[in-house]
Amino acid sequence: MTQTATEPTRTADGQHVLVVEGLVRRFGDLTAVDGVSFTIAPGETYGLLGPNGAGKTTTISMICGLLEPDDGSVTVLGQQMGPRKVAPKRHLGLVPQDLAIYPDLSARENLNFFGKLQGLTGTELKTRVGEVLELTGLSDRAKGPTKEFSGGMKRRLNIGIGLLHKPTLLILDEPTVGVDPQSRNAILESVENLSGEGMAVLYTTHYMEEAERLCDRIGIIDSGTLQAEGTRDELIRLIGGVDNIALTGSGDTVAVAEALRALPSVAQADAERGSLRLTVHDAPTAVAQIVTAATSSGMQLSDVQISRPNLESVFLHLTGKALRD
Amino acid sequence: MRQLGTLLTTDLIQRLRDKSVIIFAVIVPLALMGAMNLVMGDAMDMDLETATVAVSAPEDDQLATALVQTLPEIGLDVEVTETTADDVQARAESGDAKLGLVIPDGFSAALMAGEQAEITAIRGDGAGIETSVVLSVVQGFLDRAGASAVAAAAGAGLGLPPAELGEVAEQVTTGEAAISLTTGAASDEQLDPKGALVAGQAGLFLMFTVSFGVLGLLAEREFGTLARLRSMPMNPNLVVISKVLSSFVLGVVATSILLAVGGTLFGVDFGSPLPIAVLIICAVIATTSLTFIVIKLAKTSEQASIIQTILAMVLGIAGGAFFPMSGGGLLGSILDLNPVAAMIRGLGITSGGGGLADIVTPVLIMLGFAVVAMLVARLVPDRGAMA
Repeated sequence: MTQTATEPTRTADGQHVLVVEGLVRRFGDLTAVDGVSFTIAPGETYGLLGPNGAGKTTTISMICGLLEPDDGSVTVLGQQMGPRKVAPKRHLGLVPQDLAIYPDLSARENLNFFGKLQGLTGTELKTRVGEVLELTGLSDRAKGPTKEFSGGMKRRLNIGIGLLHKPTLLILDEPTVGVDPQSRNAILESVENLSGEGMAVLYTTHYMEEAERLCDRIGIIDSGTLQAEGTRDELIRLIGGVDNIALTGSGDTVAVAEALRALPSVAQADAERGSLRLTVHDAPTAVAQIVTAATSSGMQLSDVQISRPNLESVFLHLTGKALRD
Repeated sequence: MRQLGTLLTTDLIQRLRDKSVIIFAVIVPLALMGAMNLVMGDAMDMDLETATVAVSAPEDDQLATALVQTLPEIGLDVEVTETTADDVQARAESGDAKLGLVIPDGFSAALMAGEQAEITAIRGDGAGIETSVVLSVVQGFLDRAGASAVAAAAGAGLGLPPAELGEVAEQVTTGEAAISLTTGAASDEQLDPKGALVAGQAGLFLMFTVSFGVLGLLAEREFGTLARLRSMPMNPNLVVISKVLSSFVLGVVATSILLAVGGTLFGVDFGSPLPIAVLIICAVIATTSLTFIVIKLAKTSEQASIIQTILAMVLGIAGGAFFPMSGGGLLGSILDLNPVAAMIRGLGITSGGGGLADIVTPVLIMLGFAVVAMLVARLVPDRGAMA
């Protein structure tokens, strides 16, 4: 059951850019996506946050019309999406996780090619190619084959191709995987700017900090199911405003966790190798009691860290596992 | 249509920049033709050497003399040396003569009397195909002489006078044949060995050239560009069609280059350009149709390469890409339905002067092959690039 924190926004005419309703996709016995529903309004950045294998890419494949859903529907600006649908695809800009560029072509040739397929011609094509080269900082290298580009340059071109035709809905599937910190920051800034210009963005990631920085609303997906959605603060409130305390040290952490669970302030205690991860109510007040209980249970503490709740906490609370599991 | 043109043009540009298509579709087959020509050059040239024949023939023997006089006139370069029986044996053993013939005394008389007459033939050291030809001629002469003896014996049995018996025997031996064999103008023309080598290699490598389209499609999937292409506002089938068209264009161009350059290098004239062009187009259609099956079967470019290589080698070898293949019954019929075999056969016809009307059969075979391959492709479950 999806926990919805807010009523999604709509356009002035009441139309969402993207409406996903009850998407289901099976591969043999595996249900990769199971009843996923969400909407995105103009100018909104929606994040699909989940670990690898959660169903994010399969969901995107159905949204882009690459895969036919076994059940459910996708509409883009009111037009039904599907593998053989042409009209709704005009509004989409897809930035796949893989570097979807041709290595033997130059940046300009790649942009010209995909621009023509998007229906751009003549002066409009030439202008947009120039603008995107400028936007991605590739104007100086426009004529060189992209196989000679650095990873960051390829990533920027990959995103630029998705922006070429000024789509109403930009879909970025884990665009920062394998990217150096500098390029990653540039990509995140680009997405922020695009959203500011009124473009609807669907952004999938398994990096919590990216989702927190970019997304107006976030859907937490795991095992093919949308576990919850809302703004960052709304999602955190869903788990009751609890804090996290991490205890590091030596001793029988399993036994210590068992002892700590008996404390009224401790909502959850998970033992890991040499550490304990606690979800507690009002950590600043409870920490002294927890430390005392842990040491009296035989744990030799070397470090205590208190952290305010974040999306990682929400994910842990909802799924019982960490985002990078 | 504009999108299809964009897809096709860009694909061809990439193939040319990649250079692998130039290497594997043009340079490698030409190099292979050259290598095979060097290795099998003597066998392919088929130039017959002078047949040196040492003959021991009895003096004043009419038929023996006729036989000896026949040998230099058989169309080969034959050098006849008349000598003694012992010398014939010696010359054959030493290699001075590639063939020794010892005609016994009383040869004509024995034949006329219907008695056994035996010529001893000794193949000398280094005897080649020209020796076999000479022996065939000798055998033919003996058969005819034997027939005249039979005719004379039959006349005697009917009570003909001896003078007339001689005329009958002479008539049988020297008269014009009642039945003759006429060679057709074009329909049964065969390529010479060098022509077969060029045509065979062109046919074989055509199978590899057309595979670049399938490999390109699978590479699109592996690069991730296929997902992006399928998210574009166009019919997703255009992606596959563009790859097939790319294969077709590459196949036509590469095969035309191979036949033109190979023909020039090896001195082969394949005939009139128009029927050759029709044969090339039909062969490319037939082989390209196989790519639809490969697209359905192969999930990776490695799998596609393996499948395409198996198909190319099986059809290429069975089609006579390396050496002529023949078979009887059902096997022979199946071999004849091979597009590579059909193209070689068609080029054999055009090289003999055949025109469009003469290549109907190989054209139909290739187009029929394409239709069957397309039908099979429709029946094969899609587990490949577009699944």
